[in-house]
Amino acid sequence: MMWMIIGIGCLVSIYAIVVLERRLVYKTWEFGYPVAAFASYFIQENVKPRKRDKTFYETAPILFITVAVLAIGIFPWAESSVIANMATGALFFNAALAYIMVALVMAGWAPNAVYPMIGGWRFMGQLIAYSMPIVMAITATVMRAESMNMMAVVESQTGLWNIVYQPVGFLLFYAASLALTFLPPFDLPNAPGELEGGVFAEFTGTRLLIFRLGRIILIFSLSLGITHFFLGGWAGPFLPGYVWVFLKTILVACSFFVVGNLLPRFRHDHTLEWSWKLATPLALFNILWVGILLLL
Amino acid sequence: MGGNFIIVMNIIRLSILIILGLGAIWFAWRVFMTSSMVRSALSLLASMAILGMMFLVMEAEFLGVLQIMMMATEMSIMAIFMMMYMMDPGGMGNMDMSHQKKLSIGTSLVAGAMVIVAVSFSNWETIATEVPTPAKQNYDLGMELMKRSMMIFETAGTSILVAMIVSTATALPFKNKKDD
Repeated sequence: MMWMIIGIGCLVSIYAIVVLERRLVYKTWEFGYPVAAFASYFIQENVKPRKRDKTFYETAPILFITVAVLAIGIFPWAESSVIANMATGALFFNAALAYIMVALVMAGWAPNAVYPMIGGWRFMGQLIAYSMPIVMAITATVMRAESMNMMAVVESQTGLWNIVYQPVGFLLFYAASLALTFLPPFDLPNAPGELEGGVFAEFTGTRLLIFRLGRIILIFSLSLGITHFFLGGWAGPFLPGYVWVFLKTILVACSFFVVGNLLPRFRHDHTLEWSWKLATPLALFNILWVGILLLL
Repeated sequence: MGGNFIIVMNIIRLSILIILGLGAIWFAWRVFMTSSMVRSALSLLASMAILGMMFLVMEAEFLGVLQIMMMATEMSIMAIFMMMYMMDPGGMGNMDMSHQKKLSIGTSLVAGAMVIVAVSFSNWETIATEVPTPAKQNYDLGMELMKRSMMIFETAGTSILVAMIVSTATALPFKNKKDD
């Protein structure tokens, strides 16, 4: 019963994220949009580039959505409900994110076209740059929990959430999450209006559907990550734990869209420079900060 | 009943290990059989990720996940460096990926034989009867890295860093001051 509720909760959350994205980005309430978009992509003709790399062209969308779903598996929904209670859960989350990059490099290379290739390599630079702060922010939360198990990470926040305990880590994780989901202002890999869709430019029909669905799931999994690493996971008054997890996750996803609306797209060189010269040293400082707090 | 169950589980685990091992070898072979640099790098990634899965089957959770994670970034970086340096990155010019065939086959046979000899004649001490918990494995690994094997890891890390800086420096455009 519990698992059924969680499964339905995940589907409803993904639906809600799509509807809220339409509301916050395009300013219209379109409750039927997810179904309509799904149906239209599903029946759309699959136009394939002539000289494509067939293996990568077929593998990239599947790999993309698979790792986005796998990343969700390690997060607990309540005190005793977790799909994969891995001792190295936090590290596994990172591993899954690394394969998002592999999928997009494949997607960029496969169509044998200019825009996707630029998009793919751009995303690679972006992900490598921003996976440093994200890994180090996770390390700091793991230091506090003294375990990489996600249950332990959530339990370590009883009394004081990590957003207060290590605010620098939270800010870094938040910015890096935007970069990893290539949402505005970090939407350089598919940059509408500049690269005409970038990595996704040569994908149509069901493959594009898988990519777009995978991206929504990726936004969901990174929001879940922020909820568990920094916002106390299932902790909250009155309501059951899993309701809090879903509420916090959807709120974090909404905040992604709001931030994206407020900021213009960053330049690619600035994006990389800020990560290597500012975010990475700050992440190291955050580790030092948490270390000092733990020793006090 | 209990004994039979363990034997069956061990056979299943061994079969999965053999299948994964063959998969890793197949992808390693693909690295040299394709003419596209990106395909080659990603074949190597597949081979390495399968090695990570073998760790997972052997219940070395931390090492397995770490291997799977690290290789994704490393092989993608390698792909872009291969693109930068090779004359025929897309494989459109039918460039042969393999060269110095006799020497490389000879070297790999000797290296393989040396590894087999080292594995066969090493003193493995007592083999653990039970797999330690993942937390204990992490602790033991940390102790190993920070004590006995520290020099090896630090040297390897520094060498890789130096190699990265050198290759980036050589990739920078050469500016002749007289032309300014």
